[in-house]
Amino acid sequence: MTLLDVQDLSIVYEPHGAEPVTAVRGATFRLEQGEFVGLVGESGSGKSTLGFALTGLARAPARISSGRIAFDGTDIAHLDGEDLRRQRRGGFAMVLQSGMNALNPVRTIGNHFADIFAAHEHVPRGRRRDRAVELVEKVKLPASVLDRYPGELSGGMRQRVAIALAMSLDPRLLVFDEPTTALDVLVQRAVMETIIELQREENFTAILVSHDLGVVLESTARVLVMHEGVIVEDGPAARILQDPQDDYTKMLLSHYADPRAEVVELPGLRVAGSQISTTGEGPAGPGTDAAPSGGAKARTGRTREAVVLEGVGKVYPPPRRGEDPVVAVDDVSFTIEPGDALALVGASGSGKSTIAKLITGVERPTAGTVRLGETDVGSLRRAGLRRLRRDVQMVFQDPYSALNPLHSVEYTLMRPVVNFGGLRGLEARRRVLDLLDIVGLTPVEQFAAKLPHQLSGGQRQRVVIARALACDPQVIIADEPVSMLDVSLRAGVLALIEGLREQWGVSLLFITHDLLSARLVTDKILVLNRGRVVERGETAQVLRFPEDAYTVELLDAVPQPGRAAD
Amino acid sequence: MRYVLRKIGLLLLTLWAAVTLNFFLPRMMPGSPTDAAIAKLAQNGPVSPATRAAIEAQLGVPTGNIWDQYVTYLGNVLTLDFGVSYTFFPQSVSDLVLTALPWTLVMVGVVTIVAFVLGTLLGVLAAWKRGTFLDSLPTLTGTFTSAFPYFWTALLLLFFLGYVLQWFPTSGAYSARATPNLSAAFIADAAYHAVLPAVTILITSLGGWILGMRNTMINTLGDDYVTFAEANGLKPRAVALKYAARNAILPNLTGFGLALGGVVGGSLLVERVFNYPGVGYLLYNAVTNQDFPLMQALFLMITVSVLVANFIVDVLYGYLDPRTRR
Repeated sequence: MTLLDVQDLSIVYEPHGAEPVTAVRGATFRLEQGEFVGLVGESGSGKSTLGFALTGLARAPARISSGRIAFDGTDIAHLDGEDLRRQRRGGFAMVLQSGMNALNPVRTIGNHFADIFAAHEHVPRGRRRDRAVELVEKVKLPASVLDRYPGELSGGMRQRVAIALAMSLDPRLLVFDEPTTALDVLVQRAVMETIIELQREENFTAILVSHDLGVVLESTARVLVMHEGVIVEDGPAARILQDPQDDYTKMLLSHYADPRAEVVELPGLRVAGSQISTTGEGPAGPGTDAAPSGGAKARTGRTREAVVLEGVGKVYPPPRRGEDPVVAVDDVSFTIEPGDALALVGASGSGKSTIAKLITGVERPTAGTVRLGETDVGSLRRAGLRRLRRDVQMVFQDPYSALNPLHSVEYTLMRPVVNFGGLRGLEARRRVLDLLDIVGLTPVEQFAAKLPHQLSGGQRQRVVIARALACDPQVIIADEPVSMLDVSLRAGVLALIEGLREQWGVSLLFITHDLLSARLVTDKILVLNRGRVVERGETAQVLRFPEDAYTVELLDAVPQPGRAAD
Repeated sequence: MRYVLRKIGLLLLTLWAAVTLNFFLPRMMPGSPTDAAIAKLAQNGPVSPATRAAIEAQLGVPTGNIWDQYVTYLGNVLTLDFGVSYTFFPQSVSDLVLTALPWTLVMVGVVTIVAFVLGTLLGVLAAWKRGTFLDSLPTLTGTFTSAFPYFWTALLLLFFLGYVLQWFPTSGAYSARATPNLSAAFIADAAYHAVLPAVTILITSLGGWILGMRNTMINTLGDDYVTFAEANGLKPRAVALKYAARNAILPNLTGFGLALGGVVGGSLLVERVFNYPGVGYLLYNAVTNQDFPLMQALFLMITVSVLVANFIVDVLYGYLDPRTRR
């Protein structure tokens, strides 16, 4: 039986005082009762806009400009007010991307359920509490969460509560908009499994909206691929995996690989055993995403030093009185030789970012020593720290907040060139343009004049990398440098980082939860769990033949399009 | 409960600090009230030591060392003994303050609460009906009226409603013939006298509450929990009140606490213009007549009322926002 019939649906954004933009163009598809469908696309593809429209949540400035959405025979595209509200029980429901923020911070979880029951009166008064208990147990939470406030629950628990709330409407269609994106890797997987299980048991129709083709192929039976507002491919997951028809789908698929394989290859990057190389063939996209050019210039003769951590520990005072102190890092030792790349992997809270703070001198260790060559980083004061900042540079996770939106690219790059490089005037400018050339942002003159909002995420991250390179550092610490980027842009940035290390001999500390990218750009790896090192060795060796259970768990969390077919 | 106890402890501590500062600060100033009085007299010729002794006897010279004085002072504060007023000799300061306080508390206090409640409700409505007439009317009017200076509004009302149209009395808190008591007739008379000063305060403070609430609520309306509540088919009223407004009011409570604390001290201009016998008017008299005991008692009371108002808001906040309770 057809539950949802979407015909030629188009949605336009009509922002105040700006040109209207068509976000969804002529979407046409049918969903049968009980189907589990994935809707995949990268940022700006229109997938979330479509998801919101299907659940009657399209709001100004978005407007359904043409087409119809027939839900069980009634057109809901142009329904509103009370009629639409009534449809929401036993109709269509939605679980939002940031489930963490989807709950009212000042109401208990129990009251959230009570509000829904009161709004639709579909559960008799005396049964309401029992029904709420039933629902939270379905998402594998204890009944006691009903008396808690959202702030007292973890991100994963809040997302589960949001799912239970949506389920309380007895929906026949449930849209999950990036339900696990904001969660930690291991939690992501657990929540996803609950969703799959629920869908199987309750047999509702589900749409999983996601940017991650890997996750979608793993969990759903049918996949719609969206690109620039158009559904470019619609077919069974297995067929899309084996025989993708559209070039865009092919491109997306080419960016997945198994970090456990002997040879791992992404467009522009290839690792066989522990040999890494950039293949020179640039990844897809216009010239700006090309592999680094600019020729190898030998570094001016500064000596290179190793980063050495010996028995390093960091304990934070208890967050509240009466609680235990927080052990963020516990007895960690490692050495990064000049020009080496070390991966630091682990789930959130494993202490990886604290180690970065210790090496950059932002925090001081409570035990052990952190050294750069002969310098004890933990004991540095002003002038020493200033020198350290020249030698150790960071590339941050979020390229959107790492650049000051009011400053042009040229200004951003000029600061370190002037402050640390001591160059002035024309020389400084030449250095800035050089840097842009190195990170592949050409034509350099044009990019120098741009402001951050005029750049894409991948281009911004290149600027951040150029800024880190500007003072000719010895060590670059990259904290999840690609996790905020679209899958298709990741390979380009990784190839850039890898190329820079080869050309300039910079040491790299690569912090990530993503084992695939760790495999691609590092030769040694350290797996952290709750501040302790649980496994270490050559990256290829550790990932191909993991010994610790935690490493295996992390490996299993990497989305594998292929796994569905196995 | 532990949260409230902790807040009470904090309140007592700050109260003690305020009282102590109130004691030590004037003593750290050079000169003394006697010197000031003698300096005034000295303009008309030499002052004999006998005059000095007489002034000292009248004002009272502290005995014992400063710690003994401090202990005595603390005892006096606890028993509300602030000495005798210079201006209204021989009335005691506490009598003066206690007579003035009810007028201010009732008139200004009630208006402040009404302004907050009314302004917040209008703000909720404006945000919920954003872009419609219900939004633009209160928002524009609010912006306009809140830009009026206090005393100027007071003078305008006084002139047109009191003097030209003679609808309301122009000064005082009750008719000259009436004596204060709790009869219905007297309360009606007092309320009639309170209309002009009350409306003045309402006009100038209402706009701020409307704008503040509207702007925070427009932000919370964009929050995910509001979208999710809507997606779950909650009734629009519940979404607006229990979800959007309920969260938007939290930051405005802090402002309300400050406004409540300012009730005692902040009504000086209005009370002056309307000759309203409240604390503000008393403070005005104390300052112009250099009535030190009266001033000191009033300053202390203003400090205490700010602290107490903040305490009330803190407790309220703990009740309304579970995140602060830990």
